[in-house]
Amino acid sequence: MTVRVHFYSYFKELTGCPSTEETVVEGATIDQLLGQLYGRFPKLTAMRNSTLIAVGVDYQGRSYVLKTGDEVSLFPPVQGG
Amino acid sequence: MTTELILTTDPIDEAALIARRRASAGMGAAISFSGIVRGKEGADAISAIDYEAFRPMVEHQFKLLFAEAGQRWPVVESIRLVHRVGVVKVGEPSLWVEVVTPHRSEAFAACQWLIDEMKRIVPIWKKPLL
Repeated sequence: MTVRVHFYSYFKELTGCPSTEETVVEGATIDQLLGQLYGRFPKLTAMRNSTLIAVGVDYQGRSYVLKTGDEVSLFPPVQGG
Repeated sequence: MTTELILTTDPIDEAALIARRRASAGMGAAISFSGIVRGKEGADAISAIDYEAFRPMVEHQFKLLFAEAGQRWPVVESIRLVHRVGVVKVGEPSLWVEVVTPHRSEAFAACQWLIDEMKRIVPIWKKPLL
């Protein structure tokens, strides 16, 4: 299945795009998705330990099991105010 | 409890916001906080900050925070929060928060907590401009 992944803040510079599509196996977790994305976008690996992850508009952990139609967002720590 | 969230590219008109304040007879405290763009980011002088927001998630996360604030401080009558997006020049407010309660202690506490949580979970980022 295919999931759309959005990048925010300087993650767009690290990947060179605001969003992408990634094909993952049925039952894949976010952790597996990240592994694939690190292969495509090696500069993202430097942010491995501080990447925040959302599916839709809610935060999710790396063990979240992806579903068809999920929109995943990856971004660095937030800085409002 | 009433809440209002405004994400805007327009300058924050604090006087107009205060003029629109509504507080019932039992309310005795209205705290408003303005976050202003500093002229320095670390050691570097800057001219402005460009704020980027993941708008649908910002709206959702603020809704959750407002609800939690209402549970933590049930006496809160209203919360209003305005956050700029886009380019905000040095010296201009990028954030305005108001909390209305019967007494000041809850207003200060709720306002502080809300801003702390915003900086932890609400997906807004800033890019300093030289």
